[in-house]
Amino acid sequence: MRRRTLLVGAIFVAVFGVLAVTSLVLEQTVAAQNGGGTVRAPRFEVDPLWPKPLPNHWILGSAIGVWVDERDHVWIIHRSSATLDNNEKGVELKTAECCAGAPPVLEFDPAGNLVQSWGGPGQGYEWPQSNHGIFLDHKGNVWIGGNGAGDSHILKFTRTGKFIAQYGKAGVHKGPTNAEGLSTYAGDSNDQQNFGRVAKIFVDPRDNEAYIADGYMNKRVAVLDGDTGRMKRYWGAFGNKPDDRNAGPYNPDGPSPQQFRNPVHCADVSNDGFVYVCDRANDRLQVFRKDGTFVKEGFIAKRTLASGSVWDIAFSRDPEQRYLFVADGMNSKVHVVLRDTLEEVASFGDGGRQPGQFYGVHSIAIDSKGNLYTTETWEGKRLQKFVYRGIGTVPRQSQGVVWPRT
Amino acid sequence: MHVRAAAIVALAWLLAAPALVRAHDIPNDVVVQAFLKPDGQRLRLLVRVPLVAMRDMDVPQREKGNLDLARVDDTLRTAATVWIAREVALYEDDARLGSPALVGVRASLPSDPSFREYETALAHIQGPPLPADTELYWEQGLLDVWLEYAIASDQSRFAINPGLRQLGQRVTIALRLLMPDGRVRAFELHDDPGIVQLDPRWHQAAARFVRSGFTHILSGIDHLLFLVCLVIPLRRVRTLVAVVTSFTVAHSVTLFASAYDMAPGGLWFPPLVETLIATSIVYMALENIVGARLGRRWIITFAFGLVHGFGFSFALRDSLQFAGAHLLTSLLSFNVGVELGQLLVLAVVVPALNVAFRFVVAERMGTIILSALVAHTAWHWLTERGAQLLQFPVPAVDAVLLLTVVRWAMGLVALAAAIWVGRVLMGRRSGPAKAGPYAGPAEAGRYVQEEEAL
Repeated sequence: MRRRTLLVGAIFVAVFGVLAVTSLVLEQTVAAQNGGGTVRAPRFEVDPLWPKPLPNHWILGSAIGVWVDERDHVWIIHRSSATLDNNEKGVELKTAECCAGAPPVLEFDPAGNLVQSWGGPGQGYEWPQSNHGIFLDHKGNVWIGGNGAGDSHILKFTRTGKFIAQYGKAGVHKGPTNAEGLSTYAGDSNDQQNFGRVAKIFVDPRDNEAYIADGYMNKRVAVLDGDTGRMKRYWGAFGNKPDDRNAGPYNPDGPSPQQFRNPVHCADVSNDGFVYVCDRANDRLQVFRKDGTFVKEGFIAKRTLASGSVWDIAFSRDPEQRYLFVADGMNSKVHVVLRDTLEEVASFGDGGRQPGQFYGVHSIAIDSKGNLYTTETWEGKRLQKFVYRGIGTVPRQSQGVVWPRT
Repeated sequence: MHVRAAAIVALAWLLAAPALVRAHDIPNDVVVQAFLKPDGQRLRLLVRVPLVAMRDMDVPQREKGNLDLARVDDTLRTAATVWIAREVALYEDDARLGSPALVGVRASLPSDPSFREYETALAHIQGPPLPADTELYWEQGLLDVWLEYAIASDQSRFAINPGLRQLGQRVTIALRLLMPDGRVRAFELHDDPGIVQLDPRWHQAAARFVRSGFTHILSGIDHLLFLVCLVIPLRRVRTLVAVVTSFTVAHSVTLFASAYDMAPGGLWFPPLVETLIATSIVYMALENIVGARLGRRWIITFAFGLVHGFGFSFALRDSLQFAGAHLLTSLLSFNVGVELGQLLVLAVVVPALNVAFRFVVAERMGTIILSALVAHTAWHWLTERGAQLLQFPVPAVDAVLLLTVVRWAMGLVALAAAIWVGRVLMGRRSGPAKAGPYAGPAEAGRYVQEEEAL
């Protein structure tokens, strides 16, 4: 009996000892990893259960705008049935029990419940041919752009979808009909009444001014009075007068382009009053003062061709807004960038359709707790939430898919 | 003719009614922010509510539904009185305070950040109003209210019954109490929480958490089914005591660990725990059916008790704000409530099983039927919860994950060693184990068929 007791005791000690040694070895391994290619940066993990399923067999079309309001409600805009294949909209075609495109504007509460939906053509305004970008201003108003062929205007609604104002008119840049019988359009980045396929709006609450990323046809940032929509100023890359001439394809080895390429995809204002412009196809962020004075630029994933790497940005929630989160639809990731140097310190995400992966990550927004929300265009057609896990040690290179793990 | 006119009027009213109702719809979600600060012989209450929740008010508007800020002050004062001041009930040492003085009121933009801190909120209400030409659609505005109550001392204990339930379909009140010694206590109250002790005495906290534990176990059908599974074949007092004690100790360990933030914080953890709870029920039910050895059931009960403790902690998480300075007392009280609930269930279930097995169905058959029913139910939970859990991808096996696993393994080995040492010491003190059924946890198991009912 005594020998058996000793034997069992010895086994406990031995097992514990082996585990302790293993623990020490692993600790050293982890420490070595941290001392190597790692960096301190915000950490995230995807919440695969957010948002909750939509009602009424609704599904999303290409999702091309996201914003978070002061109540941490998440607003998205998507293209609904216009971007759904027939096999995705059986209810609308009366061929199957599922599905139907959800209304274009959707509001989710912080728990991921759909709380409101609206949008579409109505009296008194011209709904965009292809809506694009959504923003909730400091007065609770909803701003919407559009990048359809004839979209040269901006709409403003109340939170419940009541029409407030339209700035610019649809179809004003229409040119002659081409050989195929289709209308042609030409940008006019010096038009002070209308726009050229607006990608995104950002309203600066301090000056009640709306910064317009204008856009898919124009090549400028325009600034409007937030109440009247009157254009106050506008500028092109480096603060130059915008020039609509086609600059040809982007060359990553060439000199820094003196004009924006289409699309100018975001123009967001930081707390300290700088305007960050997404020059998407030129793979760069350009930074300006509010009056349009050029400050600096930074390239991100500079060798990215085609649709470019700088699609949308969100500022981190610390008072200094130390980080920028840059949505990159071509490379299927979110870049984490130091705001003062525009240096990329980390990134997360990868291509795919599973939680935490991306297919055409198009827009990005942040809530008061630092959680990120992304929407995906093309066939991504999705809204995802990435839960903020604080500042921590992450690989300097891409973290890949940030699965829930902690 | 009069009848016809009345009919037309009635028809017109009916047609108009939806529009009228629509104009006064009760908002779905209303978030109220509030600060409460006792200071000398006055208690200051700052409240921010969405203007859309102030129903049945004739809000002065300009074009396009914008607030007429030059004329809105009277309406805001009326709304503050009718919907806030008259409804909020505050108590000083259990005595209700008299009506407050309405010191200030103003409209704010929905993005105004002043209510993040008490000082900025107060300064904001004292500050200049919004410029009269501000374009603010009235339903998107906020109403800020400053109320003051006369109190005997800022050292008193205060309680609140918010009374704001009628503001919306779902009302969330984010309340912060700023105590004279500088401590800040945050509460998140929902709908109609009744009277909330903001700085409870220990016995008030204890009573609340005993109630909470009692109602939680009685409303937690999965915990109850686990308990029923445990006792179907075990209905003698000694064996019951061993098993129930084991369950209690185990769930207390993890409940306390969670309350002190020692549980994993990952999003996958709650679905994992819920799935394991369902697994525990299925396992127990199957064990009952196959007639496993029951003498060692306390061990597996201990293991599953650890899981159920995490489950209890999820229910407790939102309630700990009501513990005041008595976290430990509250946790113990919650446990007491859980135990009282368990005892009540056992007091009903055990005699009922005895009667059933004596007069309705043979014990073995009855055990199998009951356990099969429970297993069937729990299996559905298991698949549903498992499906939710499986939405979380399996974490990559790397050094960090291995380190976590190894550390947990070390903890478990240490726990097992401690239990083993305890058994060895107890064995030495009590001498050789007595032969006979159900002498306790250390005793060898018996088959279910050998159980003898009370």
